Amino acid sequence: MTTQNNFWQHNRTVLIFALIALTMPFWFPLMGGYSGLDTKIMIFCIFVVGFDILLGFTGYLSFGHAAFFGISAYVTGIMLKSFSDNIIPAILVAVLAATLVAVIIGLLTLKRTGIYFSILTLAFAEMFDSMAMSMLQKWTGGENGLTGMPTPMLFNLKMQGDTVFYFVTFMAILLFYLAKRIERSPVGLMMKAIKCNQTRLEFTGINARKYKLLAFVISAVYAAIAGALMVVYEPFVGHEFLGWHQSGEIVIMSVIGGVGTLVGPMLGAGFMLYFENVLSVNLGEQWLLVLGAIFMAVVIFMPGGFMEGIARLKKRYFTTVDGE
Amino acid sequence: MDMTLNAFTLSILTGLQLGSIYVLIALGLTLIFGTLGVVNFAHGALYLIAIYLAVSINNALGFGLALILVPPILFIIGVLLERGLIQRFYDRPHTDQILVTFGLAIVIQELLKWAFGANNIPFSIPSWGNGIIFMHDYLPFLEGFVVYPKWRMILVVVAIVTVSAVFALLHLTRFGLVIRAGMRDAEMLQFLGVNINRRFMVVFGLGAMIAGIAGVFGGPVTQVSPEVGMQLLVPSFLIVVIGGMGSLGGAVLASILIGMAQSFTAPYIYINTIIIYLITVIILLVRPRGLLGAKGVFE
Repeated sequence: MTTQNNFWQHNRTVLIFALIALTMPFWFPLMGGYSGLDTKIMIFCIFVVGFDILLGFTGYLSFGHAAFFGISAYVTGIMLKSFSDNIIPAILVAVLAATLVAVIIGLLTLKRTGIYFSILTLAFAEMFDSMAMSMLQKWTGGENGLTGMPTPMLFNLKMQGDTVFYFVTFMAILLFYLAKRIERSPVGLMMKAIKCNQTRLEFTGINARKYKLLAFVISAVYAAIAGALMVVYEPFVGHEFLGWHQSGEIVIMSVIGGVGTLVGPMLGAGFMLYFENVLSVNLGEQWLLVLGAIFMAVVIFMPGGFMEGIARLKKRYFTTVDGE
Repeated sequence: MDMTLNAFTLSILTGLQLGSIYVLIALGLTLIFGTLGVVNFAHGALYLIAIYLAVSINNALGFGLALILVPPILFIIGVLLERGLIQRFYDRPHTDQILVTFGLAIVIQELLKWAFGANNIPFSIPSWGNGIIFMHDYLPFLEGFVVYPKWRMILVVVAIVTVSAVFALLHLTRFGLVIRAGMRDAEMLQFLGVNINRRFMVVFGLGAMIAGIAGVFGGPVTQVSPEVGMQLLVPSFLIVVIGGMGSLGGAVLASILIGMAQSFTAPYIYINTIIIYLITVIILLVRPRGLLGAKGVFE
């Protein structure tokens, strides 16, 4: 097999994703998506791909990833406001800050598994939410949110409209590529081994905590990048960025799409935001009810999400005698 | 901290009252978790059903009927939920249970929002529960004039009675004996020929019924709006975890602890908003199983 073939095989999904993502401004409006929503979908693609490295690979269900998203968004906003309107230092500092918090929270919460982990992460996120609303009000703007940021700049380039979309999409493709690389790497294998059987992994003499923490921090970095880009996309930060609603939304996206597949959660993100912003016009106030019902149906009947559905369809219609 | 005896007493009372609502939610949660092993994210939504039912019946037919009707209705709803949905998830991973009940919570919350609107519905307290209690009449060590809302004291009494009833049921009856055995080792119990399945159904109904009692008496205090369910669920979950998953005594202890902590930090707003999370984190780091969590229960 030539090297070229290998490259194509490894990166087929990434290239297809890049193609679909980059052409989005052309086909997305045809199905009723307004401009700007495509950018938001790309931002959440980043968020859920990172989240899947934690939930999909290691099996740890965090109910508090909004913390990293929100902290990063606040820091980005404050940096843009008081340091420079250039987004590069703002994003760097924001991601660094969120990563630091993630290391601390990860060290504390990863001592526990299952429901304890879910609740501990939820508790930390809610704590930050409460802090943003009370003792940090001076910096976060409290109930009103953080506003009054200048137009974000990429050096001399104004970050508006299509520029933001292509910047975000570039980041999304890059980060998806990195996630795919992690999945194939020995580190990714270790993370998946944690989900399969952590005890057995530890018996082989491997320090599982290291890999758990790594998965946690990587997913937090993805969340932080998404949070920072959210402020570049729309210069506003509200405390709902930190709330459990936000964490829950990410969980729903991942599960609807198909946990552990990287592509699935992105499908879920696209579906949910499209549903929330476009289809909801027809459903009115009850869109969340319908979404909740869809979510439940997926968990009950199709635990693998959309990806399982696609796989089932493929099996039914494209299977030849020799199973190819 | 210089605090007068009066202020101290009032803080204790407020702590008890806060803890009372928490314990009524947490008791059902921990009962369901301990026996069925199911993490019920929809428990706040059950409370939500209870307060909406209670306020509707109360405003139309009076409080007495609400008190008689709501807990049994919730029991039936709980049983139906267990048979129709939860039962399918006993063999699935805990994450799936969290997800499906989380979805259920959204559906119930949105259905109620659709039916009743997003705004708070006033819940009028019956005349016998209205007004205030002159605490200084009962507690001679208080100086001067100390009053407390009567309804909140009734809530505390209701919580004490409910908790005692649940403990009596579990420790003094044959049914309770089986349930406690099931909490320890459900598989062994099945080997002995006990139909644990039917009892699981009853336990889930019981948990829902306690949420029903909480709704009837807690509704006027927590308000009646669609967000209340989740607002209460998060602290109640933390309480269950602090107390030790599946430990009823732990849930009671943790409810009082959190109620007191919130009450006594009330003057210090910055600490007050995060105290519950701080306590959770500290306790879980020092005692990973929670205050009274038994060894081997959902490790």
